[in-house]
Amino acid sequence: MGSGEPVKSPIEKLNPLTKMLAIFCLGLATLIYPNSWLGLGIVIVLFGVAGMAHILKSFAKTIFGFGIPISLMLFFIQGLYSPKNKTIIADLGFAKLGEEGLLYAAKIVITLLVFLATFYIMNQTTYAGKMVAALTSSGINPQVGYLILASLNVVPQMHRRLDVIKEAQEARGVETTGGLWARLKAYIPLMGPVVMSSLTDAQERGMTLETRGFANTNVKRTSYIEVTTSKADTYLRAGLIIFLVAVIIISILMRW
Amino acid sequence: MDDLAIEVKDLSFRYRQTTHAALSHVSFSVPKGSFFCIIGGNGVGKSTLCNTFVGLIPHYFLGKMDGDVLVNGQSIIDQSIADLSSQIGLVFQNPFNQLSYTASTVAEELAYGLGNRGVAREEMVTKVEAVAKLMRIDQVFDQNPLDLSGGQAQRVAFGSTFILEPKILVLDECTTQLDPMGADEIFAIVKRLNNEGITVIMVDHDMERVAEYADQVLVLADGSPVLQGAPAEVFGDPRLADFGVEPPDYAAVTQALAKRQLIQDKLGVTKDQAAALVKEGLNHAD
Repeated sequence: MGSGEPVKSPIEKLNPLTKMLAIFCLGLATLIYPNSWLGLGIVIVLFGVAGMAHILKSFAKTIFGFGIPISLMLFFIQGLYSPKNKTIIADLGFAKLGEEGLLYAAKIVITLLVFLATFYIMNQTTYAGKMVAALTSSGINPQVGYLILASLNVVPQMHRRLDVIKEAQEARGVETTGGLWARLKAYIPLMGPVVMSSLTDAQERGMTLETRGFANTNVKRTSYIEVTTSKADTYLRAGLIIFLVAVIIISILMRW
Repeated sequence: MDDLAIEVKDLSFRYRQTTHAALSHVSFSVPKGSFFCIIGGNGVGKSTLCNTFVGLIPHYFLGKMDGDVLVNGQSIIDQSIADLSSQIGLVFQNPFNQLSYTASTVAEELAYGLGNRGVAREEMVTKVEAVAKLMRIDQVFDQNPLDLSGGQAQRVAFGSTFILEPKILVLDECTTQLDPMGADEIFAIVKRLNNEGITVIMVDHDMERVAEYADQVLVLADGSPVLQGAPAEVFGDPRLADFGVEPPDYAAVTQALAKRQLIQDKLGVTKDQAAALVKEGLNHAD
């Protein structure tokens, strides 16, 4: 969830609550369904969604970057050493490859990938302010919303402050680059002023918030950021809930 | 009293875990619609006093408070800071500490206080556009406020306060980040608001500016009021230097002319007053 505006796309236009519902429904459906095929199908569909959101390249990089190493690791551990293994599909000499372990590993990997993929798409296509505005309008405590947004903005501000101090030190001839020892010598004395000034800043920021009605409890908060619920949102939400219910029923029937 | 914006009644305050009183037996009043300036050396309690007006003392900063402050006739003790924020706005020195840190654009920053009051979005948009234009920040409307220069960020801080339409405006050394032209522009807006009936309380170290704008000047020394009156009265007081305050340079010029009996014993504290007196002195010399 970036603090800047994401690229405009049909996915970006969706209400953030719809995207959160998608994470919940698709993730839960994958988790409940008895095998990995549904999850695999969802991941493939999510590649299409990422394409619609103009983030296919970074999406693929994240999914493969996470999916390949985690799959290899889990297939190795679960396939060779899972106590569930009963059906041996290959004898490697040092260990035997079991079907049950492999299927279990596939299920874990695919579930993680569905959660990762849906969360990544929401993160890349949702403006943080819009997300908080949507959450606040749905009844969440505005102070929780503040914590989300302030955390996103305070860290870059502290980086900026550190850069300013670093430049000032460099201008005075202090060496801030080089080996670890040189860096430690340059940065450790800066920590005190950075922490102390951050505390003073936090106090002044608190004053600002108070004088702008942050603690106001008498009214329902509004937002400058427009959060709308389009027809697409309504249909998608209904579709996601129907999909989840259908998956629950099918999963029960399959296990029966 | 209906005609008083602020009434300070025998106010004393000591911050928690300190032994020295930041304010000691302060009493004065600010009439509605006036331009009231508070001056004094560093650490004499000017900012502490400003913090009491907006309710940060006693509700945010803890300590021992005696006496009372009435804002539009109501005690700050009985009102929350949020309640007071609908009547009184505060702008202080560091603009980046006056940002909400929740906004990714200047427009959202300006709208933050309105959102906390539950103002409808349509009204919010209209007000944000008007204030951005007034503060001349409409060209950075979509920029992140954290990426602005100090001067631009201070304009955003002013705008974020103005947009709440307070009846009383407290300015605590708020133009230090602005260049002289930028500061003049801001004060032109502040003066315009003052002419429209907004009460302005200003803390500033620029005595020329204080002399130009103030109706009344209060001098604080070691947490207590020591002088109060019209600018010419206060800046003409021979004890002023003892309180760590230098009068405007214009006062020194006109005092020198009066000493040489080139003008009547009058004190010019603003540029226009001094220019008129210098002209009078030159005519007399001819």
